[in-house]
Amino acid sequence: MPEVDDYHVPPGCCDELLDAGGEPREHAASLLATLQRLGPDALVAAGERREDIFMQQGITFEVTASDGARRDRPFPLDLVPRVMPAGEWTTIKRGLAQRIRALNAFVDDVYHAHEIVRAGIVPWSLIVSRPSFARPVHGVRAPGGVYCHVSGCDLVRDGDGSWRVLEDNVRTPSGISYVIENRVAMTRLMPELFAGHRVRPIDHYPSLLLDALRVVAPAGGEDPNVVVWTPGPLNPAYFEHTFLARQMGVELVEATDLVVRDAICFMRTTAGLQRVHAIYRRLDDDFIDPLEFRPDSLLGVPGLVRAYREGTVAIANAIGTGVADDKAIYHYVPEMIRFYLGEEPILGNVPTYLLTNERTRREVLKRLDELVVKPTSESGGKGVFIGPHASAAEREHQAQLIEADPARFIAQELVHLSTAPTEVGEGKLAPRHVDLRPFAVFGDEIRIVPGGLTRVALREGSLIVNSSQGGGSKDTWVLAEDGADELASGTYRPRRPPRLPDVRYGGWSGQEQQQQQ
Amino acid sequence: MLARIAQELFWLGRDLTRAEHTARMLDGAFHADVAGALADRGVTLSWEGVVAIIGAKPPAPGEKRRAPTDVPPPFDRHEVAALLTIDMATPASIASCIDRARERARTLRDVISTEMWEALNSFFLSLGRYDLQAALITGPYSAYQEVKERCALFWGLVERTMLHDESRSFLEAGGRIEAADMVLRMLRVAVPADLSAAAEGAQPGHEGEAIALLHAVGGVQAYQRAVRYAPALPAVVRFLLYDDGYPGSVAFSLQALRAALHTADAQPRSSPPVLRLGRLIADLELQRRTHEGFDQTLERVQHELELVDHDIDERYFAIAALAAVHL
Repeated sequence: MPEVDDYHVPPGCCDELLDAGGEPREHAASLLATLQRLGPDALVAAGERREDIFMQQGITFEVTASDGARRDRPFPLDLVPRVMPAGEWTTIKRGLAQRIRALNAFVDDVYHAHEIVRAGIVPWSLIVSRPSFARPVHGVRAPGGVYCHVSGCDLVRDGDGSWRVLEDNVRTPSGISYVIENRVAMTRLMPELFAGHRVRPIDHYPSLLLDALRVVAPAGGEDPNVVVWTPGPLNPAYFEHTFLARQMGVELVEATDLVVRDAICFMRTTAGLQRVHAIYRRLDDDFIDPLEFRPDSLLGVPGLVRAYREGTVAIANAIGTGVADDKAIYHYVPEMIRFYLGEEPILGNVPTYLLTNERTRREVLKRLDELVVKPTSESGGKGVFIGPHASAAEREHQAQLIEADPARFIAQELVHLSTAPTEVGEGKLAPRHVDLRPFAVFGDEIRIVPGGLTRVALREGSLIVNSSQGGGSKDTWVLAEDGADELASGTYRPRRPPRLPDVRYGGWSGQEQQQQQ
Repeated sequence: MLARIAQELFWLGRDLTRAEHTARMLDGAFHADVAGALADRGVTLSWEGVVAIIGAKPPAPGEKRRAPTDVPPPFDRHEVAALLTIDMATPASIASCIDRARERARTLRDVISTEMWEALNSFFLSLGRYDLQAALITGPYSAYQEVKERCALFWGLVERTMLHDESRSFLEAGGRIEAADMVLRMLRVAVPADLSAAAEGAQPGHEGEAIALLHAVGGVQAYQRAVRYAPALPAVVRFLLYDDGYPGSVAFSLQALRAALHTADAQPRSSPPVLRLGRLIADLELQRRTHEGFDQTLERVQHELELVDHDIDERYFAIAALAAVHL
């Protein structure tokens, strides 16, 4: 750690590893001490090896440069991990599981009974006007009643230290491959940092996902055939698609590999057509079936929605889940939790204003210089307007956009994202804003891998952490609890190795050496 | 061919394969150690485990041999990794293995191809250039990667450039018997005595251990493609013992060993090692179906493999050793 005087946490923010007085927090003390002992040179040296290893292993992220050329960049991993104590993680885990159960119930409700609409909580007109509302699956119940098999909600820590959900994502959240590869890279690059920590492992995510997909696959007792469906190598997240298929040991298919016959989905193999029971798809609803959604989609499989409706194939995430993570629906999630589960939300929302209400809109326009405005149907940080960072002209422009089409935007209070020490060149550490995207898998129950993807805004003061906008990532450590460890599902006494036969050293020169001795 | 040459080739194959397996095992143990929390899950691919597998440091002359009943002192990773990677005084270390392999290859220049010799020699020379001591401290991943790649290069050149004759068979036989032996040792150390072959995945808590085992052989992805279930310890042990399609499994290595000896032997039908291997392979196939406890199977297979080793010595090499004694 450099001198604490050098490390200025932005006002109103809280830091993940240092307390308000600039002293290391208890759970981070030993990490920071190790960093201090290693010094900046170790960070610089490890950084050089990092680029090599990532390029060599092909762990890259495709970015489009200003000249329009697309090129691969090594996924920017910051070498200082983010550490989280066990107790804090337990709260997050419970809060997320609760939220995902509610979102799942909401999706089921939207396409079936509309109870939440009849209770007057969410307006029906708002639901059906969402671009991701999927009319073709109305009345279709997903196998096992699970819609949101995979979710990755974005969490942030506000200035007061409390955790809030910034965005839900129950379509095709990406990033888990980077979580796992980050951990592998950290154990190779900075093994010393792990000394003295019991960091909970995360590499079982692919098994969790595979188990969940098998559970929901309508295989009728057969061994279910699960596939990962990618739009193709041009997709920016293609690395992740291949990663998951490889780690689960299942086929990675493209649209041309799949075919639907008589409402049953097959894949084309050298041995003829083979039945597919569950599809983990990594493309949007719009593209999956040209007969039901966009007719111009070349990425889709004609008839797939029909097979899904017949219940012969499970699709994860289910079709139409996008309605639950729409930014205009986000506002209602705490109410959903109360309505469906009868519980108080464990994780709060960021205060959000819907601009369709005339009075709210006027309030928002007056406070435009302190609020954040987001378009409701965009992702990846595109079109986000941050009031305090905007010029007068930009504010004026944004106000016009809002007046022209209020339903297209929501306004949120600015969250003072927490910061974490981040290497900013020459081994020097400085506070940079971070968020957290934990990944949950919902099969027969909700399982969440400890930690998740910590994204970090590498530019000073920037609040935008998306990797397409110059964000990096950090390895996220959830520390194991002292004493009672939930991992130790069975207790094993230390075993003494059995006596093995001696290792032999044979051959001519071996004997020769023995003779010389 | 000359018995002495055959023996050198056989041990060249063994030394190289031992180096590779040691590198994979150390990398696996290192990763399991650093990635953490696995200790709570009963992983025995610990540093003590690795030392037990590879054969603990043999006592120096005059040093008292530790009684086998003693509980070994806890090893830490810096100590073990250094000992088994770069310590030239430890015959089990990777550097010692490579050194021996290169010395052998030097006497075999007329038998092996020039490309093979150059691959091996530059491997040896690269060990000297590499600052292994520093690599071990900052993270030995790249060093072990290098060992794996160089070994693969050598075997690839065997495939491409070496005549299919007796010499090649002995080289191959050495590599295969060592691979079988290393995997057996690892399984014996890592598999709990009470693990039953019948209880597929029924015992929770072993998942981390199972993954660590696969890492230490380099078979994670092969397993994932072949089995398509989350790694559970019994399934992984079955995979590493019996799988016909995975080149690192014990069954696969034994079959390849048998094939190599069959080719090399003038009269394979009356050759004790070939016959014994035939029985062992058939026995293994039977075990696969009967679900006997792993513990007994592993112990018996390893015992049989030792006997095969002695048979090989007797049948092909003893005649040369006899001369050596009279030197």
